[in-house]
Amino acid sequence: MFLDVFLFELRYRFKRSATWIYFGVFLVLTALIIADGGTNASEKVYHNAPAIIGSFMALLGVFSVLISSAVMGVPLYRDLEHDTKEYLLSTPIRPGAYFWGRFWGSFATLVFICSGAIFGYVLGTWLGPLFDWTKPERYGPNDPMAYIWSFCTVLLPSLFFTACIFYALVAWLKNNRVLYSASIMLFIFYLLANFLVRDLEKRDLVDLLDPFAINTYQNAVKYYTPAEQNTQLTPLTGNLLWNRLLWVGLGLLLILGVYSRFSITRFIAVKSSKNRKADGEAPVPGTVALPVVNPAFGKGFNWSNLWGLSRLEFRNIIRDPYFLSIILGGVVFLFLDDWIGNLQYGVPDRPVTMNMLLFKTYNYSLFVFILLMFYAGETVHRDRATGFANISDALPVPNWVQLGSKFLAITGICLLLATVPMLVGLLVQVLKGFFNFKFNFYFIDLFAITFWDYFQMAMLAFFVHALINNKFIGHFAGLAVWVLMFVLRSFLEFDYNLFFYSYKPDYLISDMNDFGHFGAPLFWFNLYWTAFGFILLLLAALLWTRGADNSLKMRWRSYKAQWRLPVTGAFLALCALWLGSGSVIYRNVSQTNRYQTSKEGKKAQVAYEKRYKKYERLAQPKVTDMMLYADILPDERTIHMRAVIKVRNKTDQKIDSLHLLSNDRQQYTLQMDGQLLTAAQYELLPRPMFTLFYSKPDTGGYRLYALPKPMMPGDTATLEIVTTLKNPGFVNSGLRREIVQNGTFTSAGIPSIGYDPQLELESDEDRKKYGLPEKPEELPPHRDPYGERTMLFNDDADLITFECIVSTVPDQIAVAPGYLQREWTENGRRYFHYKQDSKIDYFFNVVSARYAVLRDEWTSPDGKKVNIEIYHHPEHTWNLDRMVAALKDGLGYFDKNFGPYQFRQVRILEFPRYAGFAQSFPNTIPYSEDFGWYADFSDPNDYDYFYYVTVHELAHQWWGHQVVPNYTRGSNLISESLAEYTALMVAKQKYGADNVQRFLKYDLDAYLRGRGQESKKENVFINCNRPYEWYQKGSLILYALQDYVGEDQLNAQIRAFRDSFGMKENPPFAGSYDLYAFVEKAVPDSLRYFLEDSWLKIALYENRILSAKSKDLGNNRYEVTLQVKARKMYADEKGNEAESADTNDYIDIGVFAAEKVEADGKKLTQPLYLQKHRLTNGEHTIVVVVEGKPVKAGIDPYNKLIDRIPEDNRVEVEVE
Amino acid sequence: MELIIENLSKTYNNGVRALNNVSLTIPQGMFGLLGPNGAGKSTLMRTLATLQDADSGSARMGDVDVLRDKNAVRRLLGYLPQEFGVYPRISSEMMLDHLAQLKGLTNKGERKDTVAALLQKVNLWDARKRNLGTYSGGMKQRFGIAQALIGNPKLLIVDEPTAGLDPAERNRFYNLLSEVGESTIVILSTHIVEDVKTLCKNMAIICSGEVMHVSTPQEAVHWLDGKVWTKAIDKHDIHSYRTLYHVIATQLSGGKLFIRVVSDILPEQGFEPIEPTLEDVYFNAISSKVDLVTL
Repeated sequence: MFLDVFLFELRYRFKRSATWIYFGVFLVLTALIIADGGTNASEKVYHNAPAIIGSFMALLGVFSVLISSAVMGVPLYRDLEHDTKEYLLSTPIRPGAYFWGRFWGSFATLVFICSGAIFGYVLGTWLGPLFDWTKPERYGPNDPMAYIWSFCTVLLPSLFFTACIFYALVAWLKNNRVLYSASIMLFIFYLLANFLVRDLEKRDLVDLLDPFAINTYQNAVKYYTPAEQNTQLTPLTGNLLWNRLLWVGLGLLLILGVYSRFSITRFIAVKSSKNRKADGEAPVPGTVALPVVNPAFGKGFNWSNLWGLSRLEFRNIIRDPYFLSIILGGVVFLFLDDWIGNLQYGVPDRPVTMNMLLFKTYNYSLFVFILLMFYAGETVHRDRATGFANISDALPVPNWVQLGSKFLAITGICLLLATVPMLVGLLVQVLKGFFNFKFNFYFIDLFAITFWDYFQMAMLAFFVHALINNKFIGHFAGLAVWVLMFVLRSFLEFDYNLFFYSYKPDYLISDMNDFGHFGAPLFWFNLYWTAFGFILLLLAALLWTRGADNSLKMRWRSYKAQWRLPVTGAFLALCALWLGSGSVIYRNVSQTNRYQTSKEGKKAQVAYEKRYKKYERLAQPKVTDMMLYADILPDERTIHMRAVIKVRNKTDQKIDSLHLLSNDRQQYTLQMDGQLLTAAQYELLPRPMFTLFYSKPDTGGYRLYALPKPMMPGDTATLEIVTTLKNPGFVNSGLRREIVQNGTFTSAGIPSIGYDPQLELESDEDRKKYGLPEKPEELPPHRDPYGERTMLFNDDADLITFECIVSTVPDQIAVAPGYLQREWTENGRRYFHYKQDSKIDYFFNVVSARYAVLRDEWTSPDGKKVNIEIYHHPEHTWNLDRMVAALKDGLGYFDKNFGPYQFRQVRILEFPRYAGFAQSFPNTIPYSEDFGWYADFSDPNDYDYFYYVTVHELAHQWWGHQVVPNYTRGSNLISESLAEYTALMVAKQKYGADNVQRFLKYDLDAYLRGRGQESKKENVFINCNRPYEWYQKGSLILYALQDYVGEDQLNAQIRAFRDSFGMKENPPFAGSYDLYAFVEKAVPDSLRYFLEDSWLKIALYENRILSAKSKDLGNNRYEVTLQVKARKMYADEKGNEAESADTNDYIDIGVFAAEKVEADGKKLTQPLYLQKHRLTNGEHTIVVVVEGKPVKAGIDPYNKLIDRIPEDNRVEVEVE
Repeated sequence: MELIIENLSKTYNNGVRALNNVSLTIPQGMFGLLGPNGAGKSTLMRTLATLQDADSGSARMGDVDVLRDKNAVRRLLGYLPQEFGVYPRISSEMMLDHLAQLKGLTNKGERKDTVAALLQKVNLWDARKRNLGTYSGGMKQRFGIAQALIGNPKLLIVDEPTAGLDPAERNRFYNLLSEVGESTIVILSTHIVEDVKTLCKNMAIICSGEVMHVSTPQEAVHWLDGKVWTKAIDKHDIHSYRTLYHVIATQLSGGKLFIRVVSDILPEQGFEPIEPTLEDVYFNAISSKVDLVTL
């Protein structure tokens, strides 16, 4: 009998077109995505690599929820819905056969539908190269096992789980609305996992919580190198296995639980109304007479009805239990987001108002989207769906009141949803004892910006539902519009906001710059989209379905009948508003500014390289002195600049032309020794596709000037450049942060000299597409003569003298590198004259903002004074003491270990959080608002990254400014890795090794992740060319090196290196090999392998502790037996690994007592034993005797080595 | 005031002619609309209730053009559709109050009195605070009646109003209708002939979209005086009787088939004359469109 039901279900399903349509959708969409190369594979990873197929399958789990609810929700409900239950279930069918037959039949259908993705995937790998959408080399061989394995281990458990949920819920609750809430709950779990993924320490929890194993899978493969991603099937072990078992188990538990209580009679029983008895009351004859009334349809009648109906409709929505549960979900997430915030190295921020407003665009916005889409539909269809339309449509209520009231109700919901972030934000602030509320931020952001987003969303949903007479198709169509826009934007690399409903430029609130320059674009875009939304609404009103006959013909007829003069008037007025605001936007985006598609941007890069590459390394004069005049007009977002630059021909060739490179379209005048030069050659840029009016072509940024008199070797000349930096109008996207009302920070403006290879197209895939050769390396090899005589950051100059007069508005302070000579006010402007009395890099910036200044002083042991100045936003005073301490500690450590500081001042300048970095100019360090100024370091165990980053930037005054790296491969490690290492040493001195280890854990994660996502090849450290190498790997290996050879020994060699290369005015400048030569001297022969492993090879460990047992020897002495496994591997540049043949390495073996917790809550590890043992690859048994009770033990327990699975290095000690 | 319907026609997209040149004059008082399922009763009523447009024809009530000036009609109208739904999470009292407001009862006190009176009239007073979602079918129908009566409608259209009511409630409803019907045009559609007979001053019989018969129930019966005959026959002979006579009803009883035939003279031996009922009038009127032999 089971088989009969099962087969009937299958036959039924396969006769229905829905099954084939779903299958087709999976097939076609997957094929398109794969053919378009739309996976997350980096450039050296195949789009059909096993690891990529796996993550695609995991992602598919989320999308299959829709299908799963549609397929698994109906098989039982079908009998309730179509009233077949009465006779079908009165047959002698066994409950088990009915229940399981339907279940497995439907599940088989579901699996069949989802298998469309496999066929689509394979198809995509053929179509991509066929139509030249994606190059054939991006696809590897199609291995059937890879597909089947991923499908079965990743997707199938998700499908089974959701299938059980949906099927069981319908069987249990007998209605199908529960499907919505179940889908949303699943989604919430997924979001929760996503939410927690920010915190490295909760990784296990994340891995288990994710019902679709998306995060779990990502975590399982995140350290896979390109080669491994291409070849290895992801094993079903560890957290991935537990996750899959957990969710399959939960599904099974649920469905078995429901089945155990399932009975056919109960399932089909009519829901008994508890209030039945009231119906049986004996009728009492009505004795009252109906009062005679006089209906009044006065002037305000329709308006008062509009109001009354809106309120009723609003109440209908907010009383819906599903509405309440969804909004509650949103509130919970908003609260969690606000409460925890953005963690940086695990450290939370204070609940400043601008952050409280940040998180509404995270998970909360999804809930808003669901609510608005869903309840717009519910509202529009409510009367028809409940059947009340038969009464209400005959009421004396005009269409506009009917529709208007529903729309007003939804508007009320928008308003409610826009208010929630303020309530939640205030709650979090109060609970955290933070009372510095900024109500202007709340009100402006929520009601002048966010509300309109929601409002526009609602208008579209309303239109779609009014147009489409079916609620479910309406939901689908409404969703499809957004998905379509998203797909168009991301896959077509096309983001012209004017064409995408409700899209507008980005904005970011900053304590420093408030809403800054974002007001105008947001105003115009909101006007534009709101006007358009109202046009949609007007059409919706005309097509509004009323009465019984809603055929298209009748609706069209009523549409025409209602199109009368006032409607025409309104329509024309809205169109005028829409097109008018659209033309303002268009003028700003495409005429005043030249919007380019990303493809146009790439083509411009290609043209630049093809045209000018021949001038690379052309002999050009170098800057020797610079005098800069800069007038900053913050409110106009303009800087007038005049630079007087002395140049000298330092080559041995005659120079007869000057090549200058500025931004495209930038205009400047150039004089040489007082004579005006005009560009002899420059290109006219092609018309960007969206710039329709282009009578005067723009000029390209690469310009050639013929020198009036050739510069012979050793000749000098004076250049004078006058230019204006402006930000006219507004742009399509991007923050354009450099010149703003409060917090200007720019280092741009003066054209650079000669061809700059950094502007070339980087991606090899793109280069190939546009006919350029691959570019495996950016920099010349070691000892390259040109590279050795050129500075890394700048080929325009060696060291120079610098002087600057900068002016700004009276309430701001303007800063540039150099010592302040004079400050004065003239013509209502405030002037500052800065002069650098020693030579510096050709690397300057100007900054201007309304600052408060904290001044302090550091005195070196030999009595030299250094002024400390912190220019900060007046509200951001929380962590200034940490910054001052960092500067003092850093100056002390560096002065002692690496030689004196070359300046008499060090200044840090806060700039708005539109960008999140800090940058070290000579004695001048702009430091983003976003990077710790309002962080909350109250937990003493937290890593004080504010301190650390400050020291890092200070360290650049030595590494980067004293020792300038040359222009050869890997030389940036001199600047970045040394800054990281030395900052770590200062942090260790201040906070202890345990604290620093916490930070190194993030470094290890980032390094392993970075190499996993490598798109070209991984260089060995000495040739490093990626941030994950010069920051993270640099930190790790230099930290380990000082641990192995001793901090003082290593520092002594670094000091010697600095003494050889510091403040060098003439080439050769330092390369990574020069540093290596010094570091080598600190390393004894026994550790040479380690130096070579880390600098010249890519070595990775997989050390692991298998067990640790302790035996009490009495007298507080314990014998601990450790079973450990050591394994070292070498990887090639593609990530292929091979086991090291002759490992015999020093590896830490440690035994620890219970953690000590200090009075302030700071935790300290208590090593009872920590020694380096020489270990070969393989298992080892180590026995140590310790004093004190052992609790934990491990191999390389601090993760000093680069270990691919750092979590398995420590275990709890078992007592024997 | 009279409701004058002239040449009303409506054809649905699927080709069904729901109304075919319908002309009726409906005076004040109760007007019964009789007809079999699918006769076009509901289409006619929905058209008059502004929920649907006719293809051609006109309908006027005083100086109101019923088909064009929908909003004016809606201000005069009370309508109880055959099928309708309610907002489940709102009490009947609140909903009636809200509907009263929409029907122009802007005075709060007036509205309160009306709602209270209606609730008592339809015997929902005790259940007035309960959400409509908890109502049984009969209670819901009574709520529907109450809402149709709000605001002294000049035109009251009730479509199959007694469906789902028990006999006691049905009586109560008819009393209520009669009370209202004195000063109002009430159009009552039903297929229960008995209801029309007891309640209506005037009546029309429609079938397949056409008006077959218009009169008062009393006159209608008079027309058939002495023309209805009955006979018990063997049920195998029905076919021959059908071809010979105008058979309007058949009924099996005790193994014999009793047939009723309309004829000006005695059809043949064995037929007995019988007192005509309104049902005979009804069957006679629709006999040309519908096969009445129900064997």
